[in-house]
Amino acid sequence: MAEAAPIFHFNDERSFIVEEVVARVSQAARDPLLLLNDAAWCEIRRLEARPGKERAEYERFRELARSIGRISESERRRRVEEVARHYAKDIAGNFDPRVYALSTKVLPTALSLLLSPKDLSLGLRASGKLREHLVTQGPIERIRALSRRGTVIFAPTHLSNLDSVVFGFALDREGLPPATYGAGKNLFTNPFLSYFMQNLGAYRVDRRIRHDLYKEVLKTYSSVLIERGYHSLFFPGGTRSRSGMVEEKLKLGLLGTGVEAFVHSLRRAHPQRVFVVPATINYMLTLEASTLIADYLAEVGRNRYIIEDDESTRVERVVTLVRKLVMTTGSVVIRFGEPMDPFTNRVLDDGRSVDLRGRTVDPATYVTRDGQPVIDEARDAQYTRELGEAICRSYARETVLLASHLVAGAAFGKLRDAFPGEDLFKLLRHRDEVFVPGDEMERRVADLIDRARALEDRGLVVLGPGVRGAPASAVLEAATRAWSGYHTHAVLRPAQGGFVLGDTNLLLYYQNRLAVTGLGFHPGRRRG
Amino acid sequence: MNDHPPTPVGILGGGPWGLALACAVARNGHPTLLHSRRAERPDRLPAQVAVTADLAALARHARLLLVAVPSDVVREVARSLGDVVDGAHFLVHGIRGLSGEGLTPISEVLREETPCRRVGALGGPALADDLIVGRASVLAVASRYPEVTDAVRGALQGPLMRVSVSHDLVGLEWSSALNGALFVALGYARAIGVPPALLGGFLTRGLHEAARIAVAAGAEEKSLFGVAGVGDLLAAMSQDDRPECQLGAALAGGATLAEAQARSTLRVEAATLVPRVVAFAKEHRVEATIFATIEAVFSGRVTREAVLSGLMQRR
Repeated sequence: MAEAAPIFHFNDERSFIVEEVVARVSQAARDPLLLLNDAAWCEIRRLEARPGKERAEYERFRELARSIGRISESERRRRVEEVARHYAKDIAGNFDPRVYALSTKVLPTALSLLLSPKDLSLGLRASGKLREHLVTQGPIERIRALSRRGTVIFAPTHLSNLDSVVFGFALDREGLPPATYGAGKNLFTNPFLSYFMQNLGAYRVDRRIRHDLYKEVLKTYSSVLIERGYHSLFFPGGTRSRSGMVEEKLKLGLLGTGVEAFVHSLRRAHPQRVFVVPATINYMLTLEASTLIADYLAEVGRNRYIIEDDESTRVERVVTLVRKLVMTTGSVVIRFGEPMDPFTNRVLDDGRSVDLRGRTVDPATYVTRDGQPVIDEARDAQYTRELGEAICRSYARETVLLASHLVAGAAFGKLRDAFPGEDLFKLLRHRDEVFVPGDEMERRVADLIDRARALEDRGLVVLGPGVRGAPASAVLEAATRAWSGYHTHAVLRPAQGGFVLGDTNLLLYYQNRLAVTGLGFHPGRRRG
Repeated sequence: MNDHPPTPVGILGGGPWGLALACAVARNGHPTLLHSRRAERPDRLPAQVAVTADLAALARHARLLLVAVPSDVVREVARSLGDVVDGAHFLVHGIRGLSGEGLTPISEVLREETPCRRVGALGGPALADDLIVGRASVLAVASRYPEVTDAVRGALQGPLMRVSVSHDLVGLEWSSALNGALFVALGYARAIGVPPALLGGFLTRGLHEAARIAVAAGAEEKSLFGVAGVGDLLAAMSQDDRPECQLGAALAGGATLAEAQARSTLRVEAATLVPRVVAFAKEHRVEATIFATIEAVFSGRVTREAVLSGLMQRR
């Protein structure tokens, strides 16, 4: 039963959790003077220019900076606790089972409200359909079983601001317990959204605060939650993938709290098992595609990238997206990967860890010395790095290729063939220049599907529901239908007897989903 | 005579390298157990080293296990080992080679075949004989886990052994393996009378080529210029008894690869490795003239004159 999940009792435990975090952060602080000074220095610089509300905060840190040199070591430790408590309280969310029950009914609506609070009626109409068109795949039965035996950390790919809501919706629909997650504080400024997120156990992450003490509090908070059985949702990519590619490198900070929580819990009478479940979230259309790819190109291209046009208005696009997403079955596919322990061993239904040869392994052996659990930062950082690598391998294998990815791949292949030897940024300048006859386009799509199928046979990628077994013409049709009228600039424009390659940035964006599999062009690698 | 408290160490492999490591570890006063499948006790094994044929006994004896078996049996040995070790063991191998068609680093094989995560590798210029007779020498160890490099340093560092530490495991393994091929070339070149200046130039090119190849495989470039990289090559310049060099010399003398292999005391891993390395370089678009030449030498396709003129050519 999902209702047995600890998050349903979060409010009772809230102050206990905050105090636990404060105690651990204080204990772990090797040099309180340095920690406080770093915090004060960062905050004074950040808040200096901000008038009004945050003035008091600024003054507090000014006062701290002035006094820490003079006060005693025990007084410093007390100040560390004070600052940590302030942050921990700010981070900790709230969980209201009534709001949860309500929201699971209206979550799909909230999804559209998330980005377009103005248009309530549209959201309501779309919600029922989204239920049908969101496809979930993977060892869901096993994940459900594991969620009763330990803490599950869901670690999905990250493409869109819709991800956490779509993912939360999928968990509920599959009878999986809700997961707590850190959401950017900026999302809490919308009062409506803030109400939902707060009461769904989301905790607040203020990305503007960059000092170590804050990061410590945040990580410790996550660690304590995991240790206490709160299923968690991390986007280990850190931010949305700008390029559209599946993540090949992860941010390890929060992920590391999985290992840490496991070691901590070994000291107790009932150790808490920790299971990591990678997942891919695959969209036929990405809401923010144009902005994301422009960000990416501007960053990697620098002076090579020439900005073409601006993004269109937000509301309009959300409306179209929701309409588009509900049109096509399987336009959003969430695929869960094989669950593993924090040391990358596969986990069976009964919670046992097994190595690659199927032998049962006791995960405690990785972190105990002479029978005692030992925290070793360097060792655990390396375990976390390897966990990150294993998650990335899972992402590549569990990537679900949808019509838009394959058709963009075929079209981008044509673009490259039309201008052999040109580098990426020259290539992208050829908007609306290349005509592809319809039969050639179909042949290219068919060829790509064949190659994707060969990879799928080797377990290296997954064909989406609308692609498997479908003729190339249908796949081509599905992609063009999805794109048409959604992106401001046509991605693939139908013309006399064929197509014109339109928005080359978006072709790159959607084909980038193929990059890691080797089926498409990989902008980060040397040209092969 | 050692700063490190006595800590049990287990060694796998009754060949020359297993013997050598056992000597070095026992010399530092650590309780040493050697696992060997051979019936008889190796000749020069110090009396204080115990020998067993039972892998489980080895796993119980020590947390740190040094694996010194030939690369062609390492997978099989590791699989048996996997049945008796757990996540607490440190596995460190001393094998100069990469496994199979995929050029899998041996540490990766250990991870695939056992539940162990904390793995590492030994490299560097020390010869087996240095360790056996107790000549001052240098070894390199690499692991992504500081605990592992600490343990190896504790076991091997002593008055006669300097242990150099790195975290770039891929770098050490690729560097060692590629050096193995360069040693063969060195032995060959010396035997056909390549003068020192040209030899220096050729080894430098070989080193840079090895660096490019290793980087393509995920190594850090600087690892190729460390003890297990350039240090290894510099030592080989005057290590006439290096088995790889002897194999190269035998090839230069007109022996076929099979004949040359048969004469060698240690198994030379380079012979099977080089064609795969050349294919790998091609696939990753890395220029690898020296390695292609070594491949030609192994296959017996070229004359000494052709090799010599190849070394002089510019493209």
